[in-house]
Amino acid sequence: MEQVEQSKSRGPVPGAAPVDRTVVRVEQVGFAYQETPPVLEGLDFRLEEGDFLVVFGANGAGKTTLCYLLSGVIPHIWAGTRRGEVSVCGLDPWSVPMHRLASHVGIVLQDPEAQLAMPNVRLELAFGPANLGLPREEIFARIPQALAAVGLEGFEARGTAALSGGQKQRVALASALMLAPRLLILDEPTSQLDPLGNAEVLEALRRIQGREGLTVLMTTHNTQDILDLGLGTAALVLDRGRVAAWGPVDEVLAQVELLERVGVQPPPLQKIWAAVAPDLNGRAEAAASVACLAAAIRGGLEAGRLRVREIARPGEDGGGAGAAGAAEPPLLEVDGLSFAYPGDPPVQALRDVDLTVRAGEFVGLIGQNGSGKSTLVRCLVGVLRPQQGAVRFRGKDIARFRVGQLSTRIGLVLQNPDYQLFSISAEEEVLFGLRNLGVPPEEAARRTRAALAEVGLGEVRDVFPFRLSFGDRRKLAVASVLAMGPELLILDEPTTAQDYHGRYLLAELAERLRAAGKTILMITHDMDLIARYARRLVVMRDGEVVLDGPTRDVFAEGEVLAATKLRAPLAFRLGQELGVWEPLPLTVDDVLAGLGPAG
Amino acid sequence: MQSAFQYVERATFMHRLHPVVKIVHLFATLALVLLPYRPTLRDLASAAIWVALGACLWALGRVGVRQFGFLIKFLTAIFVFLIVTQGLLYQSEGPVLIHIGHLEFWGSDLGTVTVEGLFFGAVLSVRIIAAAMALPLLVTTTSASQLMATLRTLRLPPRLTFMFVSSLSFTHLVIQMWQNILEAQKLRGFDIEAMSVWQRARRAYVPVLTPLILLLFRKGNDLQVALESKGFGSTGPKTEIEVLPFLPRDAAAAAVVLAVFALTLWVKF
Repeated sequence: MEQVEQSKSRGPVPGAAPVDRTVVRVEQVGFAYQETPPVLEGLDFRLEEGDFLVVFGANGAGKTTLCYLLSGVIPHIWAGTRRGEVSVCGLDPWSVPMHRLASHVGIVLQDPEAQLAMPNVRLELAFGPANLGLPREEIFARIPQALAAVGLEGFEARGTAALSGGQKQRVALASALMLAPRLLILDEPTSQLDPLGNAEVLEALRRIQGREGLTVLMTTHNTQDILDLGLGTAALVLDRGRVAAWGPVDEVLAQVELLERVGVQPPPLQKIWAAVAPDLNGRAEAAASVACLAAAIRGGLEAGRLRVREIARPGEDGGGAGAAGAAEPPLLEVDGLSFAYPGDPPVQALRDVDLTVRAGEFVGLIGQNGSGKSTLVRCLVGVLRPQQGAVRFRGKDIARFRVGQLSTRIGLVLQNPDYQLFSISAEEEVLFGLRNLGVPPEEAARRTRAALAEVGLGEVRDVFPFRLSFGDRRKLAVASVLAMGPELLILDEPTTAQDYHGRYLLAELAERLRAAGKTILMITHDMDLIARYARRLVVMRDGEVVLDGPTRDVFAEGEVLAATKLRAPLAFRLGQELGVWEPLPLTVDDVLAGLGPAG
Repeated sequence: MQSAFQYVERATFMHRLHPVVKIVHLFATLALVLLPYRPTLRDLASAAIWVALGACLWALGRVGVRQFGFLIKFLTAIFVFLIVTQGLLYQSEGPVLIHIGHLEFWGSDLGTVTVEGLFFGAVLSVRIIAAAMALPLLVTTTSASQLMATLRTLRLPPRLTFMFVSSLSFTHLVIQMWQNILEAQKLRGFDIEAMSVWQRARRAYVPVLTPLILLLFRKGNDLQVALESKGFGSTGPKTEIEVLPFLPRDAAAAAVVLAVFALTLWVKF
């Protein structure tokens, strides 16, 4: 079997003979939820004590189902039909109640909000062991150890509601560790976090990796970070429920073509290396870091094996329509905007913010959670009324418009489409906003058809929105905003909880709309994505705009970005390290276009 | 946005008080409210004494009146409604305050407002104030961990204790979701806050309640996974994490609450 062949080098051995230290045994397992096609097919692997398996796969590949199968969530909470054998710590999750599995298996889910049940950290951590009747003294002794393991020393008395996303997820991790499980399952633990939260959780995982007696299975889309931190002893790639690749993490993540094919983002360094390696005859270790890769490429250039090509990117001025953007009159002007949320004391969310957006621009708005991005856009769409300053749209103060009226000028696509979907069909969902605005029925029907076609949902106009995939629900949310005809479209975090291809769906759509004459303002934490599309970046920190300029100029401000806990995309940093391009590359594609074989 | 019914950390006497005393106050309030009442001065005085005790306890716990602004507005509307309707509907032989004609409705003469009717509405309103003051006092001055420990000490089933405490913390999440949904629909020209009561009742809540219910199902599923994976379904004995001592000052405070309760009963009967 191919998996067996691949796994001989190191890491867990799929299909190998059982050994005493086996923690997970999965033999020819298939699974289907009730009345759905199979989600998993022919899975066959083992994990031994101390293994750390990282599972990659596009959304719908079966990652979460695998986590649920091993933790007993299936069949005790979600029902379905299973084939094959599953054994976790010698128990069959299918026939053992979940509370019996609890002392063997811990699980951490994606959503940091929904998995903390207790009001403070101490009680949250004590919850599991107390349920199992462990002695109080032992529980109290474990709490500081679990918090230290995730880097949250001294957080015992903190209220869980007041924690950041990254802290909540680390508390969830510590809470799972409190039961001293032999198997820890993490289902995309960083997918809903900002870069800071992502780094905090991954650092916590790096700390617990190799803990005696602990086996870890983690699903993620985050390939580059996994490589950079050296997380995982083995990797498994799932494609539509089947094993597409298995083996040591670096070897699996070096299979760039396979990863692209199954919808997993190849680590950018690996992707660049895979493209230039045939001309360099170098070692795979060259892709270990930006500095290593830069050194290898530099060697190739000096040896005459590679040559530098010019990198061309249009519209560097920040305007989507090239230099014409600067000549356009301002579409949106933010003048001295300040906003504080009421409280004791009030929370100052925006401080004297100035911003001008011109027609046809694609502007990226970046910054950590809590920097004021969302408050700013909520002021722009009239949901919040600023205490100081003004927002003008085409020269008119927006304070004179109601939110509904403003939505025909400025449209906001929210991060979570499920906050707005309620209608019986996709078509009705789009019509809802138009009816509220009093648009005549024929005109509303025409606009609805056009908007659904624009986002590629014309064929599913009669489908109940909650039957659509998350990506399609997001597109539907865009359609419902687009139909209202705004000139300026604001997208709030379009990449959250999305896989490789899903991340680019809305961004590609936004770029198409910009090309068709709309103006785009996109909030995101995804530097690779924003580097690809935005010609101008606005960076916020503590309620203030700290940088505003063309994308490359902003990325060149390394110190300011570092103070904001942001980092330029890898391609840009590689360009800085090499110093052979002007302008510097923004994306992996730029780097690949900027390098060619000699002769 | 913070839920009004949420613990606020402060160093006050009420915060230090054993939660059992506050629970005694809550149950005494319930008992008082459930007792039959009449439109008499004695009933009004009895309810007013209990409200006065509640006001003292609120002051001792520095419970913010402003954070219950929505509740006060709502109750004010209820009081006006009660006093007016009871004034019009209450049948008595007592003195008539206003006589504006005869209008028979379900055996009542809507054209006659009696003093006794208004009194009946007033007694009812004061009793509602007394009832409304008790729960905020308990939940804003008692941390969830203290509450859990106390409910367990009172031998409530752990599942019930957890449901009560987690519903308090879930309130925060529900309010957040509610606000997000309101905003999302407002962005599509659907402004529930700008609608009349009639418009809201007729069509307003479907676009808000539907996503809320669907989201709650999803969050509930995640929470269930989190709880079950931490042995929540275990039937064995559970460990008490927090043990709260019952001090002499707690006994004294409980005695004061019970004494005032006895006084209200004496005044009433």
